[in-house]
Amino acid sequence: MRLYFYDIFESFKIALRALKANKARGVLTTLGIIIGIVAVVTTMTAANGLSNNFKESISAIGSDVLYVSRTPWVQVGNWFQFRNRKNLTMKDSEKLAQKLIDARAINPTTGTERRIKYRSRVLENIDIIGTTDKHIMITTNLPEYGRFLTGFDVSNKRFVCVIGAEIHEKLFEGVNPINKKIKIGRHHFRVIGIMEKQGSAGFFGGPNFDSQIYIPITAFMKAYGSRNRNFNFAVKAPSQESMADFEYEVVGEMRKIRKLKPTEKDDFSINQMDTLMNAYNNVMGVVVMIGLLITGISLLVGGIGVMNIMFVSVTERTREIGIRKAIGAKRRAILMQFLLESATICLVGGLVGVALAFGVTAIVDKFLLPATVSPGIVIVAMFVSVLVGVVSGIIPAYKASKLHPIEALRYE
Amino acid sequence: MLNIKNITKVYKMKGEEVRALRGVNLGIGDNEYLAIMGPSGSGKSTIMNMIGCLDTPTSGEYFLEGQDVSKMDDDQLAEIRNQKIGFVFQTFNLLPRSDLMHNVELPLIYGNIPAAKRKKMAAAAIEKVGLSDRIKHKPNELSGGQRQRVAIARALVNNPSIILADEPTGNLDTATGEEIMAVFDQLYKSGNTIVLVTHENEIAERTHRIVRLRDGLIESDEIIKNGKH
Repeated sequence: MRLYFYDIFESFKIALRALKANKARGVLTTLGIIIGIVAVVTTMTAANGLSNNFKESISAIGSDVLYVSRTPWVQVGNWFQFRNRKNLTMKDSEKLAQKLIDARAINPTTGTERRIKYRSRVLENIDIIGTTDKHIMITTNLPEYGRFLTGFDVSNKRFVCVIGAEIHEKLFEGVNPINKKIKIGRHHFRVIGIMEKQGSAGFFGGPNFDSQIYIPITAFMKAYGSRNRNFNFAVKAPSQESMADFEYEVVGEMRKIRKLKPTEKDDFSINQMDTLMNAYNNVMGVVVMIGLLITGISLLVGGIGVMNIMFVSVTERTREIGIRKAIGAKRRAILMQFLLESATICLVGGLVGVALAFGVTAIVDKFLLPATVSPGIVIVAMFVSVLVGVVSGIIPAYKASKLHPIEALRYE
Repeated sequence: MLNIKNITKVYKMKGEEVRALRGVNLGIGDNEYLAIMGPSGSGKSTIMNMIGCLDTPTSGEYFLEGQDVSKMDDDQLAEIRNQKIGFVFQTFNLLPRSDLMHNVELPLIYGNIPAAKRKKMAAAAIEKVGLSDRIKHKPNELSGGQRQRVAIARALVNNPSIILADEPTGNLDTATGEEIMAVFDQLYKSGNTIVLVTHENEIAERTHRIVRLRDGLIESDEIIKNGKH
């Protein structure tokens, strides 16, 4: 066994010598592999970066929170089947709060879009969210300056608001907004706080959390009316482990509140962060697969280039192969030598490709979105390079090993 | 040491049969110095390939040091060549981009000899042919005569039973050819068995036995008394 490894080690040294002898050809051959690896690694890294970015953005939703809404967040196919559902009402939410005693918090919200104005600055179509003091118990987003709404604000229907980080930037341009009044639609609200920067899932058509304004839900209903308004309830489960049981309980209570008969389907939906994550993963999964397929083609082309050069190399070195056989090289030794040459060219190409990919990733990280090359990806890239080398080299190497020494020696 | 019994070799070339050897019998003992001669097409290259285990006969037997090598497979033949045969070619056939040390130790690498021992054996062989001061040079930095000496060192390095040289002075001028023949003479005196294939009488007459081939058969096989012992 030890002899076997020794064999491979010596073949490897012989392969390295042969490669060193013709460096220029080696570099050209490996170019295809380098490009292929850069493409593959960059694709995988970008996909990773996007996923992490998305996860971070939606983590504000809270992993132990159930959202009771009229329709599901992710609708595939015929969305208009949900069209006929009745709105959820404030009353539904109050009844739910009464029944779900072990929920840690229940927060009803509703929303609309309005134009907002401060002095001469105007922003159109801003999300106005009516919510309660329990909002910050549900999500992980907290105000960075000032304070959030209190129970007092809610019960007294006070016209106060908490603005998102981007609203602060765009509407106030660095001026301290606390205690200043802004106009939301036709009403004036006093700013009491600014939310910390959250990032947005806007990339995927989700909400931009930094561009929202929170006002007490009671003030909302007073200012903009509550007829025909749809409400969502965020319900914080007692613990993350009991989510499934808790969901069951919530569905049960909601059905009673909505007075559904046993045979009727739910006329509301329960959404969770997981739902979004799964939907995202499904879509991303397909996109990444296609991306890898396409970049994989460049690796295929690189591999064909390697195979081509190996064939040429074998033919060119027919005499040399004859000499080696004449002095006692067995078929396997010749096979190993050429296979290792091919694998080494590709491995070196892979290393260079990974190094370049680090560079490309650094640029992406600086200008587009946070991205880093993970060690796992590097290992996969190395493995793939060697695999390409072995697969591309096997036929030429086999051909070399089968050469008849006498004919090979006669080759001009 | 080796015994060839009734060897025939038939090639098929483009549908035609070529009978290169038609029944050759040859015995070679230890420490002999032989020349094989004959015109083109006489089968002298073929018989050399047979002796050197580069090819197997179509029929007949070939016993090398007691083993029947005529029926061996490729891997076994490779091993025999590695252990028992040393080749010297007309065109030297060295690896052009490796230095002398690597060229000479190559048979030992294929023989799975560990590195330290290899270096020693190769250095000894290079010493024997008088090229120790050039050990780091590459073949293209050497003259024709020096290259052939490296080839001889490579042929010697594994202590073969027999050294086979195919027109070893064919690519050399007379003076250099003389140098090389002196090396062979010396090796014979040291106890090696040397078989040369040549078409030059002056070369053949330095040996002590001449085997002449014609049309695939041995025409004559004589010990020449005036070979230098």
